[in-house]
Amino acid sequence: MDMEQRYQDRLKRYTTALRNGKPDMIPIRPFVAEFAAKYAGFTCQEVTHDFNKAFEAARKCAADFDWDAVVGNMVYVWTGLTQAIGLKYYGVPGIDVPPNTGFQYREPSEDNAHMREDEYPLLIEDPTGFLFNVWLPRVSADVVAPGAPATFRNNLSFLKGGMAMMNYFGGFVTQAAQLRAESGTPGAIAGILKAPLDILGDKLRGYMGLTMDLLVRRDEVLKACEALMPHLLWVALSGADVEKNVPITIWMHRGCVPFVSKDVFDQIYWPTLKPIIEEIWAKGHQVLFYAEGDWGAHLDAFSELPEGSIIYHVDRGDIFETHRKIGHKFCLSGGIPNYLLGVGTPDEVRGYCKKVIDGVARDGGYVMDASAIIQDDAQIENVRAMTDFTREYGVY
Amino acid sequence: MKAMDTNQPIAPNRKPGVCISWEDKRRELGEIKGDAELVRKIWEDVDALGYVYIWHCLVSF
Repeated sequence: MDMEQRYQDRLKRYTTALRNGKPDMIPIRPFVAEFAAKYAGFTCQEVTHDFNKAFEAARKCAADFDWDAVVGNMVYVWTGLTQAIGLKYYGVPGIDVPPNTGFQYREPSEDNAHMREDEYPLLIEDPTGFLFNVWLPRVSADVVAPGAPATFRNNLSFLKGGMAMMNYFGGFVTQAAQLRAESGTPGAIAGILKAPLDILGDKLRGYMGLTMDLLVRRDEVLKACEALMPHLLWVALSGADVEKNVPITIWMHRGCVPFVSKDVFDQIYWPTLKPIIEEIWAKGHQVLFYAEGDWGAHLDAFSELPEGSIIYHVDRGDIFETHRKIGHKFCLSGGIPNYLLGVGTPDEVRGYCKKVIDGVARDGGYVMDASAIIQDDAQIENVRAMTDFTREYGVY
Repeated sequence: MKAMDTNQPIAPNRKPGVCISWEDKRRELGEIKGDAELVRKIWEDVDALGYVYIWHCLVSF
């Protein structure tokens, strides 16, 4: 088949489902990360440290599996870049962890948080200045704080880091064109968003520090989240699909019960995220809620959003309950347990896919995917079973 | 004219997409003999790359 025609057919199938419509068949869009390395014969070190190998692995998967959309590199973190900047918080495959272990994120102890508890006013006053002048010197082994003597490694960090980032981001453009030409596969997502409270916990105060702050300085936490909002919106829109076909993705981490109380979600997490989603939607972009873990306690809040404004990805939540509560407004994706792809049999995978398709996809508005990002524990025959069964059984 | 201290790091009310605002840069330049609008646009476009860098360090990496 003509690759461009295949691309257009897949894009239409995928975007119809994203808008909660009923395409010709269920689109398949697995977020394959280290699985792609395993399939293509690379180590985790190779695809994490050499993004061209990660791109190659993604293209090989796209060519060999009948998938309707893929991410150009779902491993995403390129440790060549993080090393150029001198970032200290990654465990790099082949250096800090074995070459066939995926990269790790090292959260500092409470005493060594990247932002101290008394620095909220600085962050609130000038988030960008805080990142350059306080945060980056702490998270980088090479960057020195203003006032300290300039160093060769400091200067080189910005030069190498900036050029490496442009090189990497530019690589995604080429990758998208190659995926289109070689296998007729559209990109699945464009643009990145994190919730203000998640950023505060993940990269600034650490989860433990943040939970203490929520007890003793909640007002400052709220003000910090409010200060981060316009910047996170800007970053999200800056990477969005200019054609407005595929969604910006929010990677949702620890803003849900039981990581935080329902009060914290209701009073801080959601009031500082919802306006961002509404603004993105007002500009014509959907947001893929990649709801890692179980966000079932917050479905009522999500249902406040305008119809079609988000796609809700189910990880550990109950996909059938999710469909009952918000499926009339939003497309769902995911819900196939990763453990099943790892230790189950192809028959078990087919059985679970049938259960999900029967339960949530009968009227469209569903995209087939695993619950979480697919790593190298997934068996190739199980991912193939998920793909082939969906293609056969998922025809409308 | 007294030279500005360009090492001053904190600029309250720094907007999204901005590291060093055009207003601040404009004060350094004095008279612009050619197309001021072109100078402004290119300054802001390139300045935004610095913003993209630091915020992607935070959000993406």
